[in-house]
Amino acid sequence: MAKMELAGVMLEVDEHGFMQETNKWNEDIARAYGAKEGINELTEEHWTAINYLRNYYLANGICPMIRRLIKETGFSLKKLYDLFPEGPANSACKWSGVPKATGCV
Amino acid sequence: MTKKHLKLTDISKEGDVQLDEVNIDELIPLPPPYDKNEGLKQLTDDQKVRLVNNLDGFSALALPKPKDKAEENKYIGQFVAGLKKLLSKENNWTFLQPLLLSLDYCARCQTCSDACTVYTASGKKDIYRPTYRTEIFRRLINKYAKSGGKLRAALGAGNIEINWGTISRLYELSYRCTLCRRCAQICPLGVDNALITRELRKLFSQELGWAPKELHEKGTVLQLEVGSPTGMRPAVAIDNIEFLDEDFTESTGIKVATPWDKEGADVLLLHSAGDILSFPASVIAFTVLCNAAGISWTLSSEAPGYDGVNYGLFYDDIQLARIVTKHAQIARKLKVKKIVMGECGHEHKALITVADRLLIGDLNIPRQDAMSFLEDIVFSGKIKFDPSKNNFPVTLHDPCNVVRNLGIVEPQRRILRYLCPQFREMTPHGVDNYCCGGGGGLSVMSDVNFTDWKVNVSGRMKFIQILEAFADQPGPEVGKYLCAPCLNCKLQFKDMFKYYGAREKSGIICGGLAELIVNAMVDVKKPFITWDEE
Repeated sequence: MAKMELAGVMLEVDEHGFMQETNKWNEDIARAYGAKEGINELTEEHWTAINYLRNYYLANGICPMIRRLIKETGFSLKKLYDLFPEGPANSACKWSGVPKATGCV
Repeated sequence: MTKKHLKLTDISKEGDVQLDEVNIDELIPLPPPYDKNEGLKQLTDDQKVRLVNNLDGFSALALPKPKDKAEENKYIGQFVAGLKKLLSKENNWTFLQPLLLSLDYCARCQTCSDACTVYTASGKKDIYRPTYRTEIFRRLINKYAKSGGKLRAALGAGNIEINWGTISRLYELSYRCTLCRRCAQICPLGVDNALITRELRKLFSQELGWAPKELHEKGTVLQLEVGSPTGMRPAVAIDNIEFLDEDFTESTGIKVATPWDKEGADVLLLHSAGDILSFPASVIAFTVLCNAAGISWTLSSEAPGYDGVNYGLFYDDIQLARIVTKHAQIARKLKVKKIVMGECGHEHKALITVADRLLIGDLNIPRQDAMSFLEDIVFSGKIKFDPSKNNFPVTLHDPCNVVRNLGIVEPQRRILRYLCPQFREMTPHGVDNYCCGGGGGLSVMSDVNFTDWKVNVSGRMKFIQILEAFADQPGPEVGKYLCAPCLNCKLQFKDMFKYYGAREKSGIICGGLAELIVNAMVDVKKPFITWDEE
């Protein structure tokens, strides 16, 4: 298993850098992920999306559908790509500390 | 760059030696504006330390390096035991006969090589030749699994050693084939290299416990545990579809309501749950069509009755059988007259054909393919269509599992010729089609740097073919629709179009067949298909 240090914590990650132990996540880890992708400050809008994603994942064991994410946050897909350079699945979910989506998605 | 010629015995070179590499200038060229060479993603230094990387510079499987000789020897012993099991009917009750025929009858004519889209796209690399892996496998079987084999091998009949290099390379190499079976179709003797490749995957999974994590741990295991490889539990599946019913009622202006768990319905519709997440318009289009045609139908919320995928088909007979049985049991419990497949190719192959060897008695419930089901709806006379609503260029991708493997060729074409004024075929098409490049489970596999291999090598011939089908109106100002009635194929196209920027540069989007039908309905006032980014 690959390892990566973020915000002073050694984390188990998959080959694309997604956390494998979601309970180790904290807000500094989200900031560190953002910095790695060139976003040096997380705004309130970032947190709206991250908190929604993370809470949905913890309640349902899966990330929300993109359509639902758009509806619940009020952000368009373009806006989500502006906030998260690699988009909702590859940046926003990763920064939220949840595993990479699988299973024909 | 000179072309590298490989010997069969090279497969057993010392463990860490990389056999070949893929250079983008050796691949067959793409037409402009896709002819810029981006370079291919390499393993990082850290990955090179941890992971086996001895084949072609790609890692689909992230196999960790062995700890020591003892671990290597354990796997080597299991591999030899597995070879023997594949030849016994007690252990190989599913595919023994076709395996034996394919092992016995290859005349080494190499007719299959030119039929292989991976081999052709690669610039004809020996390592991807369909017979390279299968001839090695055949010789290993002859040497290690048949009596007197070692003596015959020593006398010159292809003496390939089984060592760590051999098995770790064969493991990766068994996932450089999309199981599309173009090679089997063209073989004058009917030798099925894809079947052999799949038997090799099966050996690794059932004997060594080696399988891609997307297919096993996060695939069939997750499906049997919670209901779907997406991780979607029953309550989440219902909640998602209720959300989509409402969302599409708003956006289309017609009432969308999906029925659940209706006992005694005529039809149990079995979507791939990935469609709910990645191509929700496909799922909703089926709801709209079934309701408009007055069909008695239902979805099931019993796990895994809302996810028709069965990755066992790609790598493991036991997982395959477990999932097929669950699907049939759920249909029996609901007392439906038949199961209808969603737009998912491997689901068709698993449930319609392979399941015939598994389902007996009252579990052998009638199963219908999605294409003829949709054709019946379109020509039932119950729905009014205005084909001019689909007046944009449309081409059709033939999913290998539906078309070449099941021979379902015309229903989808009768629909498109009726409803899409600018429908045009690709060349070649029908049973001679090219695979999307994501067949055999590859489309859901994206570990390490494998996505780069899929979009550049296995999907290359298909991508060129799609561009050629739209060559009369190549620019992005004309929205074009690639109809691909299979979720695995759509996911491969999604990756490929994103990688190449096909929507931005050529205006091409990809979706299923049901969406085109709904888009042509007179009662659906707003466009169902749009070229907006989703």
